[in-house]
Amino acid sequence: MRLPKKTRRYLPLLIALLVGSIASSSSAQTPAGGPPADWVSKLAEPEAVPDLDIAALRQQTADRVKSRADGVATKRPPVAPQLLKLPQLVVEIRFDEDAAVVRPESYRTLGRIADTLTHPTLLTTKFLIVAHAASTGRRDNNLTLSQRRADVIREVLVNTFRISSKRLQAIGLGEEQLLDAARPAAAVNQRVQIATLGSALEPERPASAKAAPAPRPPTKPAKKPR
Amino acid sequence: MRFEDAAAMLGSSCAKDIDSNCRGVNPDPTRLKDCLNRNQDVLSPQCKNDYGPAFDAIQKRVAARSAVAKLCARDVAKLCAGVQKGDSGKAVECLLAGPRGISINCSKAITEAGYR
Repeated sequence: MRLPKKTRRYLPLLIALLVGSIASSSSAQTPAGGPPADWVSKLAEPEAVPDLDIAALRQQTADRVKSRADGVATKRPPVAPQLLKLPQLVVEIRFDEDAAVVRPESYRTLGRIADTLTHPTLLTTKFLIVAHAASTGRRDNNLTLSQRRADVIREVLVNTFRISSKRLQAIGLGEEQLLDAARPAAAVNQRVQIATLGSALEPERPASAKAAPAPRPPTKPAKKPR
Repeated sequence: MRFEDAAAMLGSSCAKDIDSNCRGVNPDPTRLKDCLNRNQDVLSPQCKNDYGPAFDAIQKRVAARSAVAKLCARDVAKLCAGVQKGDSGKAVECLLAGPRGISINCSKAITEAGYR
């Protein structure tokens, strides 16, 4: 059976989601899906990370929604294809309907994200939280709601689990980057992505600069004669 | 306790209580805890029993992680040459490798923090 190209691209993800939902625990908590180590390895920092301007991306998305470009959801190209290339984790977080309030059954997942982001290998990495919406209701509301939801996840990670706010950015893409564009209203489109943005460390001085002793700071000038 | 287990405990023990008494409140250590405190009288026994320990467990882990930075600063300086200043991740990885001469307090802090 030949699968359409798009389905093939997202197949590993779909399988992961499926496996996650089968491995359900007895509690009412939504299963986090897969072992914790997998989450850590999915977010490992790559050699080169593209320089992304999140504010510009936010603007670009808002502009597209405002101009009502690409009106048909099934034919809408992803608004930020560059995000698809980042190392990332896709998780299901449930919210109260039409609100940026995380449902209790998703607390486990939030905790798992916090564990992942504080793993030693990711302790100095920056991340982008991307929230999405399914294509139901008003397109502009979906954009606003997804931004609020992304912000709430960030706030919980910062306030509850004390992850440095400097390491986290949040963006909502509404229904502008559908995972399953063939079924724009499907719940799978409400997923949340955690994507690796690179190192939060100040860049180290290049090796050559290190080899040569740094120029001595100018000694304090002798008191100027008045 | 891992953040995941603490958060799951809160979410599963208090799901109904949060829905009926703290609707619209996110799992924030101040606001959700305040809300559950205010509603003590009507909470289910399980939630009443679990929410305090769940928040405490999260707090404990947060504190243990910041303690590593303090209790292991000397160890990192002495034993982890080449780790860039501020690179807490590499520092923890170095300490986890169990270099000779690691202080007892630092080693304990790493365990407490759940890094191993």
